[in-house]
Amino acid sequence: MSDNESSASDQTEKSVDQESSSPDRDDTPSDSQIDRSTDVAPVRKTRRRPEHKPPPEDQKTPETPPQAETASNPSTEKTDSQGGWGYWGNWGKSLISTATATVATVGQGLSQVIEKAETSLGIPSPEELSAQVEEEEEKSDAKSEADKEEGSHSSGMGGAMGMISSSSMGMLSSLTSVVQSTGKTVISGGLDALEFIGKKTMDVIAEGDPGFKKTKGLMNRNSTLSQVLREAKEQEEQQTADSVTSETQKKAHYGMLFDEFQGLSHLEALEILSRESDTKVKSVLTTLSGEELVKLREELEEIKEPFSLTEFEDEVEDDTRGDDGEEFIKELTDVLESLLISTSADKLCKARKNAFSRITYMKSQPEEEEKEQETPPIKCNVEDAHLSAITSLAEFTARSIEQFHKTAEILLHCNTDEATDAERAKILSQVTVIMCKEISVLCKKFTSGLTAIGANEKGEVLNPLITSVFLEASNSASYIQDAFQLLMPVLEVSHIQRTVESAQA
Amino acid sequence: MAYAYLFKYIIIGDTGVGKSCLLLQFTDKRFQPVHDLTIGVEFGARMITIDGKQIKLQIWDTAGQESFRSITRSYYRGAAGALLVYDITRRDTFNHLTTWLEDARQHSNSNMVIMLIGNKSDLESRREVKKEEGEAFAREHGLIFMETSAKTASNVEEAFINTAKEIYEKIQEGVFDINNEANGIKIGPQHAATNSTMGGSQGGQQPGGGCC
Repeated sequence: MSDNESSASDQTEKSVDQESSSPDRDDTPSDSQIDRSTDVAPVRKTRRRPEHKPPPEDQKTPETPPQAETASNPSTEKTDSQGGWGYWGNWGKSLISTATATVATVGQGLSQVIEKAETSLGIPSPEELSAQVEEEEEKSDAKSEADKEEGSHSSGMGGAMGMISSSSMGMLSSLTSVVQSTGKTVISGGLDALEFIGKKTMDVIAEGDPGFKKTKGLMNRNSTLSQVLREAKEQEEQQTADSVTSETQKKAHYGMLFDEFQGLSHLEALEILSRESDTKVKSVLTTLSGEELVKLREELEEIKEPFSLTEFEDEVEDDTRGDDGEEFIKELTDVLESLLISTSADKLCKARKNAFSRITYMKSQPEEEEKEQETPPIKCNVEDAHLSAITSLAEFTARSIEQFHKTAEILLHCNTDEATDAERAKILSQVTVIMCKEISVLCKKFTSGLTAIGANEKGEVLNPLITSVFLEASNSASYIQDAFQLLMPVLEVSHIQRTVESAQA
Repeated sequence: MAYAYLFKYIIIGDTGVGKSCLLLQFTDKRFQPVHDLTIGVEFGARMITIDGKQIKLQIWDTAGQESFRSITRSYYRGAAGALLVYDITRRDTFNHLTTWLEDARQHSNSNMVIMLIGNKSDLESRREVKKEEGEAFAREHGLIFMETSAKTASNVEEAFINTAKEIYEKIQEGVFDINNEANGIKIGPQHAATNSTMGGSQGGQQPGGGCC
């Protein structure tokens, strides 16, 4: 009832995947489509409402004015002017919708034409090609023998895969016309349902999980962490868009920097994996009963424990930690090693090192300031120092989330028996603690640096900058902890997969 | 940088066809002959201009290895464009296109624009798949087609940009519902503001909408 990763063949993997993902998500055209579509439809409707934003008309309509200005704009008559590509696109579409059967024959005809071209070493002009296609089409019935030969020919080159694809091609195209209208809605409806489940789950988690306590206020219902962050980033973008023309000064915007380091993308991808894993776990639980169910629930409970019991808010008492982050790098690599999966922390360590070089640069400033008169005025001002701090926090946080995302992918990809998932949950909670601790170390280093540099600045200049570093550091820790929470369903799925595999063995 | 639209892309295709190299060439304008195997998905982003509008491409570069397929499929959803890549020097990567295409169509939205890419066009001497075959496949399945070289950068820009143009046109035609994020399109923060003040300006894109 789960992804059997050891299955090498695509076909098997696909079917297993479908089976395990959810009963709502149905991609197999052979299954009873109509039943499913009626199942899904109401769910879809209910989901639509919270998601659907009020269609702001001013967003859609402004599309036209710039067009009208350039009246001769080719996009008004797309099919003719956009050249070959548009032509092919439309050609394909109309063929598929109106005459699916011909697609198959045309395709076969074409490949024969190509073979002919190969033997004659001449490349036919499009006219020749189309003429030959027509010719071939007429003969296509008689050619079915030859087609079979061709099919086996290609399978010889591509192995089993080629066989599958060439045989399924014909079947698919005859099915397409039947399935197309219903299939599309079923699939999208199914996926919508899936997302709905994911959203609901977020609510449930947010409600019942103490790990969320910090961000509970921050996280709106029905919105995921990446949405919240994305909105924050967009606000910043809006602000910069408004102010960028008046002042050229670079401003430190955490959200935008975080996105530049691909933090948002990794978070979004991690959310997808988490959501799908959660759905899988739920569907597995519904299929079990009695002792089996009790046992699995207990096992999953053990995995969940570290996610709610860990105290992440360790105050860093010792100020002895160096600027270079060597302790962090060592601690992190040691702990990650005990996960016993092939994961590298290189990027996160690099982020820490980058922060170090920024701190070093910052610290080198005040000394120079003393002999200010002689040295050219390339000193690091408070704004620069603030930018360094925010950049370092954003980079470190983005890389931390990337670390969790990669861990999730590797956990779902390959299962090793060397560590149990409950153990991994504990280890990953330690990783989270280490990350958050380092955030607070960075925060201290940067704020003290800022204070030193800004000693001569007025309070109203310096204080907001320092406050903002503290604020973003606290946010960073929240994001990392929330990303950690997303790993829970992934570990659960990993555990279930392993249980299934060992039961089969 | 503010943008008018954001498009999500996925890059798919067999392992070793040069997906990550295409992305690197597009985002960083450099070529790395030896690339680590992609685990799951990696990301890249770049800003382009179409019709005077800033468009941000957010690109999800997926792992080509078979064993990652069940994971990478999860990422297809919500993509507005897909680059389906094969290697012109390896016939098998071309033979697998049908499987990739079925997968992509099944797990993404129906309006997704798919660009078929025959990569490594610089290795003409080792070519196993003719350009005409790629064209024929594309025509048959309603895809856009291009041969590229991530090494020489030939057609790389074009591949990404032409896909965006097609998506952009679909938006103009009203095929894409831009308010539904499942389509892989997002309206940029500054878009609405810029356009509402656009009437007075002489048609040029006002960077940052600073006119108000």
